[in-house]
Amino acid sequence: MRDYIVSAASQINAGGGSNGDNPTNLAPSDFSLVATTLDTNNAYKFMTGIEGMDRFGTAPVRSAYFMLSSTELQTDMDGLVGSGFINQWNYPSNSSGLPNEFGSIFNIRVLTSSEAPVARGVSANGQDVYYNTVLGKQAITHVTQDGDSMKLLYRGPEFSGMLMQNATLAVRFSQAQALTQDTAIRNLMSTRLSSLGGP
Amino acid sequence: MTEYSRMAKGFFTSTGGAQIINLPFQPDFVEMWNYTEMATPADHGIPRAVWDKNFVEVVSGSPVNPTLVDIFNATPVLTTGRVLANGISTFSGGLLLQYGPIYQHTASTDFSITAANPAVVTTTTAHGLTSGDVVIFSNLYQTSTTGMEQIAGIPFTVTVTSTTQFSIPWDASGSNYTAFDTATSTGNVGSFKKVLYPYLYFPGVSWISGITLGTTTTIDTTCAHNYVVGQEVAFRVPNTWGPYQLNSLPNTLIPGSPIYGYVIAVTDYNTFVVNIDSSTYSAFVANQTFAGFVGRTFPQVVAVGDVNTGGVQISANSALYPPPYYSPIGTTRVNTINGPAIQGAYVNNTAQGFIIGAGNAKVGAAAVDTSSVLVGTDGDVIFWRAFLHDMSLPR
Repeated sequence: MRDYIVSAASQINAGGGSNGDNPTNLAPSDFSLVATTLDTNNAYKFMTGIEGMDRFGTAPVRSAYFMLSSTELQTDMDGLVGSGFINQWNYPSNSSGLPNEFGSIFNIRVLTSSEAPVARGVSANGQDVYYNTVLGKQAITHVTQDGDSMKLLYRGPEFSGMLMQNATLAVRFSQAQALTQDTAIRNLMSTRLSSLGGP
Repeated sequence: MTEYSRMAKGFFTSTGGAQIINLPFQPDFVEMWNYTEMATPADHGIPRAVWDKNFVEVVSGSPVNPTLVDIFNATPVLTTGRVLANGISTFSGGLLLQYGPIYQHTASTDFSITAANPAVVTTTTAHGLTSGDVVIFSNLYQTSTTGMEQIAGIPFTVTVTSTTQFSIPWDASGSNYTAFDTATSTGNVGSFKKVLYPYLYFPGVSWISGITLGTTTTIDTTCAHNYVVGQEVAFRVPNTWGPYQLNSLPNTLIPGSPIYGYVIAVTDYNTFVVNIDSSTYSAFVANQTFAGFVGRTFPQVVAVGDVNTGGVQISANSALYPPPYYSPIGTTRVNTINGPAIQGAYVNNTAQGFIIGAGNAKVGAAAVDTSSVLVGTDGDVIFWRAFLHDMSLPR
């Protein structure tokens, strides 16, 4: 599904950053532009907002689309704190925060994963290009077959071989993915400002 | 201990060109027999070959993975040799965003790009590309303020004109483009690399290289669009590129309803016509400024729906047969491994297996025998077996 979206969804190159590349690193204006584009396209947001509370260091969170980003961009996003980015820890309530949620900015809540798509060394200046996929609720779906979608299979060694040497671990998929509304999805392309500084 | 090993066998009739064999696994050992060459021994014939992923030979200081062959000499009796380039190799087209090696300035390599229409790339050594391959450029700074950085980051289909020259479908004749050469660019910057699997999923997003306005609108793209007649498409054209009026939103007639176009003709791999009357729209601007490249979004066209065939019966020669194909160059059709599908539907083209190449054999220290072709000649019948071992010692 990840590569499917990379192939099929249109792209907006980040242009608000300061690194002089194409695309640039992420800036608040880029998040704002993508959210505005999706709003104009009548995309549905995934999450309702989180009302502000009288708690030190917290800020209300807008209703939002989801964005999947690489963990390699987390340092850049930390650099946007104070410019509109709210770390998940600074939500008024963490009850609706997802395990992989890094934070939110304007109308976008950011999930990070090491499996998010990255094109190595292909920006205009030869840097890594990150596909930050922003989704409206109606953008994608998956179709199950006879109510079955995905199943983790495990057969212990006693069932997997006569000598009980090997176990079997597998995942079975009986589902199909589909883009249902192209106008409700955008890949916000960006490069990175900060150095990763090694593993 | 071969519980999880995989084996496959088969045969094909050679066309004289590289043969792709799709398998449900990526083999680590392949052997082949050319039945025709076996039955009729003749000078240069390669009746048998074997490849293992652990074969290594160092050529010009770099390790290569050769294919070992039996080869007939002039007598003809068998001797042995190996194919060092374009022999048997495996592939795994499962992930996008994979790229080949970088071609850039080194002690022995350079390349240049003309500021012309189309732009022509000339390399000082063999570029190794074939027509239909897709490349992407970076760092096209001739100086800090001139060059062709405007096209860096756009994937381009190449049309190969020689082993050291190819063209890309882009009009770089505008005044804002300066011819580029890594031999003379400041710091000798500039590079390109091949996109290994550009069409694992299609049709998808394509980058626009030109738009001809009129009562119908003709679109040129930088690489294969893979659309079919009847395809519904939408446009994302930033204002700086000209005809922003094509964009799917906002629809001034029906607010909130996207404007889509339908493909009414497909000229070739990178040209198609949509049914949008663009007579009064702004002209397309390929002559983008160098200074403005930072953060510039490229003009795009995306497929937004499948072609409704109205339920055409699936059979030989019907509209849904043979399987979905992509068109990397010209009007060439490359079938996928999928079964019949709705025309224009998104296709998952992921595949893996091995390739029997058209490389030439080399016997001992002698020069490469350019008359000996691993995959044989047109009409040769070749049998093969492929294995993926779950135990290989020492690795």
